[in-house]
Amino acid sequence: MTGASSAGSGLAGSGPAGAGAESWIVGIDIGGTFTDAIATGRDGRVRVAKVPSTPDDPGLAFERALLALAEAGISPGAIRMIFHGTTVATNALLTGRTARVALATTAGFRDVLGYRNGSRPAVYDLTQPRPRQLVRRRDRIEVAERLSGLGEVVIPLTEQEADRVAAQIAARSPEAVAVCLLFSYLDDAHERMLGAAIARRLPGVPVTLSSAVAREFREYPRTSTAVINAALRPVVGSYLLRLRSRVRAIGAPPRLQIMQSNGGCLPADRAAEQAHRLVLSGPAAGVAGTAALGAGYGLRQLISLDMGGTSLDICLIGDGVPPVTSRQDIDGSPILAPSVDIVTVGAGGGSIAAVDRGGRLRVGPESAGARPGPAAYGHGGDRATLTDAHVVAGTLPAGMPLAGSLALDRDAAAAVLAPVAADLGLSVPDAADGIIRLAVAQMTAALRQVSVQRGLDPREYTLVAFGGAGPLHAGLLLREMGFASVLVPRFPGLFAASGLTSTDVRIDESRTVLAPLTPGLVPDLTSWYAATGRRLSAQLRRDGIPAGQIRLVASADCRFVGQGYELSVPVTPRGLAGVAALARRFVEQHRRTYGHADAGQQVEVVNVRLSAFGALADGVGADGVGPAAGGDDDQARAARRRPPARSRIGRVSVRLPGAAAARTVPVFDREHLGGGVVLTGPAIVHQLDTTTLVLAGQRARFDDRGSMWLEEGR
Amino acid sequence: MTATSSRAARARRAARPVDPITFELASAALQAAAIEMGGVLKHSSYSPIIREMDDFSCAIFRADGDLVAQADFIPAQLGAMSLVVRAIIDRWGSAVAPGDAYLANHPYLGAMHTPDLNVIMPVFHGGALFGWVGTAAHHIDVGGVRPGTEGPDLTEVYAEGLLLPPVRLYRGGDENPDVFALVGAAVRDPVSTLSDLRAQRAACLVGERRVIEVTERYGPATVTAVFDQMLDAVERAVRLDLADLPDGEAEAEGFLDDDGVGGPPTRIHVRLAKHGDHLVVDLSGSAPQVRGAMNVPWASTRASVVYAIRAMTDPARSTNDGVLRTVDIICPRGTVLNPEPPAAVSIRHNTCQRLADTLIRAASAIWPEHAIASSTVAFFGMNLASVSPRTGVPSVMAEVVGGGTGAHRGGDGLDGVDTYMANVGLMPVEVAESSYSVRILRTELIAGSQGDGRYRGGLGIRREYQVLGAESAVTLYSEQTDPRFAPRGAAGGGAGAPSRITVTGPDGTVLPVGSKASLVLAPGSVVRIETSGGGGYGDPAGRDPDLIAADEQDERG
Repeated sequence: MTGASSAGSGLAGSGPAGAGAESWIVGIDIGGTFTDAIATGRDGRVRVAKVPSTPDDPGLAFERALLALAEAGISPGAIRMIFHGTTVATNALLTGRTARVALATTAGFRDVLGYRNGSRPAVYDLTQPRPRQLVRRRDRIEVAERLSGLGEVVIPLTEQEADRVAAQIAARSPEAVAVCLLFSYLDDAHERMLGAAIARRLPGVPVTLSSAVAREFREYPRTSTAVINAALRPVVGSYLLRLRSRVRAIGAPPRLQIMQSNGGCLPADRAAEQAHRLVLSGPAAGVAGTAALGAGYGLRQLISLDMGGTSLDICLIGDGVPPVTSRQDIDGSPILAPSVDIVTVGAGGGSIAAVDRGGRLRVGPESAGARPGPAAYGHGGDRATLTDAHVVAGTLPAGMPLAGSLALDRDAAAAVLAPVAADLGLSVPDAADGIIRLAVAQMTAALRQVSVQRGLDPREYTLVAFGGAGPLHAGLLLREMGFASVLVPRFPGLFAASGLTSTDVRIDESRTVLAPLTPGLVPDLTSWYAATGRRLSAQLRRDGIPAGQIRLVASADCRFVGQGYELSVPVTPRGLAGVAALARRFVEQHRRTYGHADAGQQVEVVNVRLSAFGALADGVGADGVGPAAGGDDDQARAARRRPPARSRIGRVSVRLPGAAAARTVPVFDREHLGGGVVLTGPAIVHQLDTTTLVLAGQRARFDDRGSMWLEEGR
Repeated sequence: MTATSSRAARARRAARPVDPITFELASAALQAAAIEMGGVLKHSSYSPIIREMDDFSCAIFRADGDLVAQADFIPAQLGAMSLVVRAIIDRWGSAVAPGDAYLANHPYLGAMHTPDLNVIMPVFHGGALFGWVGTAAHHIDVGGVRPGTEGPDLTEVYAEGLLLPPVRLYRGGDENPDVFALVGAAVRDPVSTLSDLRAQRAACLVGERRVIEVTERYGPATVTAVFDQMLDAVERAVRLDLADLPDGEAEAEGFLDDDGVGGPPTRIHVRLAKHGDHLVVDLSGSAPQVRGAMNVPWASTRASVVYAIRAMTDPARSTNDGVLRTVDIICPRGTVLNPEPPAAVSIRHNTCQRLADTLIRAASAIWPEHAIASSTVAFFGMNLASVSPRTGVPSVMAEVVGGGTGAHRGGDGLDGVDTYMANVGLMPVEVAESSYSVRILRTELIAGSQGDGRYRGGLGIRREYQVLGAESAVTLYSEQTDPRFAPRGAAGGGAGAPSRITVTGPDGTVLPVGSKASLVLAPGSVVRIETSGGGGYGDPAGRDPDLIAADEQDERG
């Protein structure tokens, strides 16, 4: 099922490939079912490849994707750089295939991974399983040392004690070691001393210090972060080592950038030591791509909507930069690492629709996954899914080819919907319509969560819809939410791969301050920002990024004294523009977020954060379409023309969501919809990797990049 | 009145059924509204007990006060708030106006205990009362004789801080300055309390807006019918689950260590009967109301039963007052689970936990194939007068420590967590020592504290606090220090270890402390607490030898 193709149709050019050395930038995204690759030339030419993923050895699919691109005419030697989004860290954590870690803790506190934060993951479930622990109790070694809550040494760490602990750890022959001592965020001397002693005893074994990976307070999340880093380093390290040798064996230059959870990338040779930062590598690529694609159009207020077979990932981008949260949870364990702030809902094309005991219809979160998938795919799926509902409604027309030469089986879809319809007392078409509308309601709730519930007006945002199932729902969401517009990129099914190629290298650093925001604090903060900025910039220059392409972004996590949750407030790059300004910004943000704020109260700074960005890829659009293809412009807008005859590939009977009856709707082939074309809904736009539904009363406009814009009105 | 309006509702429903899709769309929007309210409250509140420990609830009510949608935060308050709405209706009736927000905490007027402050707003549509939105949140202090308000040895509700029958916190959208002034004068930390009340009302405003949006979209008649159907749907689902279980009756008893003031153990007794799709919970064998503050106001007793029904049926299904239609609760006035005023109630949570455990054990007796060993209900609590080492500002360190949960036929219990109706987090050492004049010397799981069995209970927690700085007043309370009351095993499994409090003075002398004490501690004193492990499940001889070996290597005892 390996396939590669050119973008064709003159949209992105299709001239001979390989002209000019090192002219291609490649993005490779490994998903659950398919591994996608997209190559973009300096001149805007595009080649894509899609190969089945190989979960037991993900690097094999990576290699096959490169070979498929080679078949499409891209000589490996002509590749300038490869960007990679990987789920290898996530999968290792979810399946428990991580390295065996030994943990050193302050004496009296070896069980912090055992009692965690003291609460139960599921409140009502009396038979829930014990959460998995990454370090066995026998492998947690206690260290005689102690700092106070103000950072004073209460019990000094002696050389003898450090060596005793190191010997005890070495005797356990761990594959990696984590060190987390109380209050090390205030003073890391004990951790460094112990780390050095362990490294002497265990040369070649990675040692992670909590103060080095997460210099923030609260011992459980910091320990968890250090342990996850240690448990992943050998896994990610060996994966990347093999990947680089595979890349070299093919003849491509091993210039490899790995996507991080924060929406930026990292050179592969530094990725293993930052392994805990790769856990959201996959979903972050689409968000980064959304920001970059929007930037190409001068849009800074965007919402990315990535809908695949099992889930929906949503991220609101407020000012052109993907927002990050300072903490994420995976499988119940916290990681203190900036991560793209994605809201995930269990709503995908494979989401199962069922009627529960109370007679209520449910869509998701259970999914038919890639296999067997929806019944309409003919792989033995026997439960009703959202995709089956669309096939019955006709919004996914049977008989049109999909990726992997799938043909949709409408009878199979109707058969699995029949019992659901019977339980609801509805006809099969009415049940299908209800399933689609309920799924859209769930998606709308998630979109409201990131917009209206944060005091932001969706009418000021452009929705960028991608993934296999995103464009199918984009028009429906436009109607529900009233977005400024909806943008469906040229290759929605490959957008995660193409988004990779537009990202910057990114390094984050943070430190807990925990002090009232007073004039006396300002010099400390200013010097931390300055020193950290110098250090991160130096690292980026060592990564080969010119000084002129380095950008620093500073923020401070603030709260009112007495509160327990912080809001991240931007800080001007040249230090603090005065205490009053920071406090004022915080109060404004608090009021906007929560609807109330008492300006008279003392503000405190909990953490300071600095991110350094280094621009890498020049001239590649996030949609994979190069700059030569040009962007949207007024001329294209003015040159409004009707869809060419050859783009009309059929007429199908469709029950539009919420409509009482079916009607005939034209189907268009996106390959033949060039810049300036405007079509009016209702319409279905077909392409190999997705289907877009345009509602009655909406129009779809195509620009010279090949982007499709959905808008209300004719 | 309830019966009449309920009949009227049924008649309306029969006349105008809502199609199943519209019902799902509208009820999903109401559920989302309750969750959104919770987000606003949690992230902007001051009280650690709200923000870190999730001790709050948000809900949406029908016009008559029945709770139709709620955010799942803490079970202890669920099934209770509708009684507060009824109290508002009773007291204010036709005077209820748009923009009002009511404040209430009176344990004998629908609330649970005085620290749980309820803020509730009416929702109007087309000039008529359409429904209610509300929040209940545990505030650390609402005045009274003790810092932190609670005290096991208090003997009258009048000692338990400010008593608020439903009063108007806001009138027509404006703050009622009299009430703010009154509350501010009566509590020990007015800044936090008043800010958190404003946060609760901000959450209500969000809820009100969402309910109005849903009503405008689907029409008031449809949404009224949706309210009714949401209650019906929960009732129907619970009844179907109950009907699947064999009929039967069983009783179970459990004890508190004392009565709060050093008296004899307090008995909790449950007779549980299931016939067809209906339950009868008879609590009349429980002790008469007690002198100390261990009494449970009716709202909390009801919440305990609602919790147990959900845990026994489908824990994943969100619930509402529809569940109350599947059960008759028999509980005479004047008992510890339905006291007459002015009995004190501030430590009612310990009794509720004991009641929840006793209900689960009665269910385990009727349905042995679903039996679950007991979790700890020691619920160690400490209020320690303290001073911030960073700012020098006096404060109260409020601490709660969990223990082991019971094993079950699927596996071992959980180590070191809060149990049953609460899910309070453990305070991080790095937060405690940067906020309070205390050093935590150790926090560890107690090897051997679990009940043995084919599956073993979870481990209890040992934590030691050293008082720094000045002399400090402390209130300590726990349960299950009496070994007879330690968590029981199920299906042949063993019991967990009892809990224990040990106080050592700076000179090494050990002070005698039972399950509860109010003391003044000299600097250098150490309080050591050890909480119970969970009960075991099944014959220990049946345990997988590999698991036994792993426990040994991990020094779990």
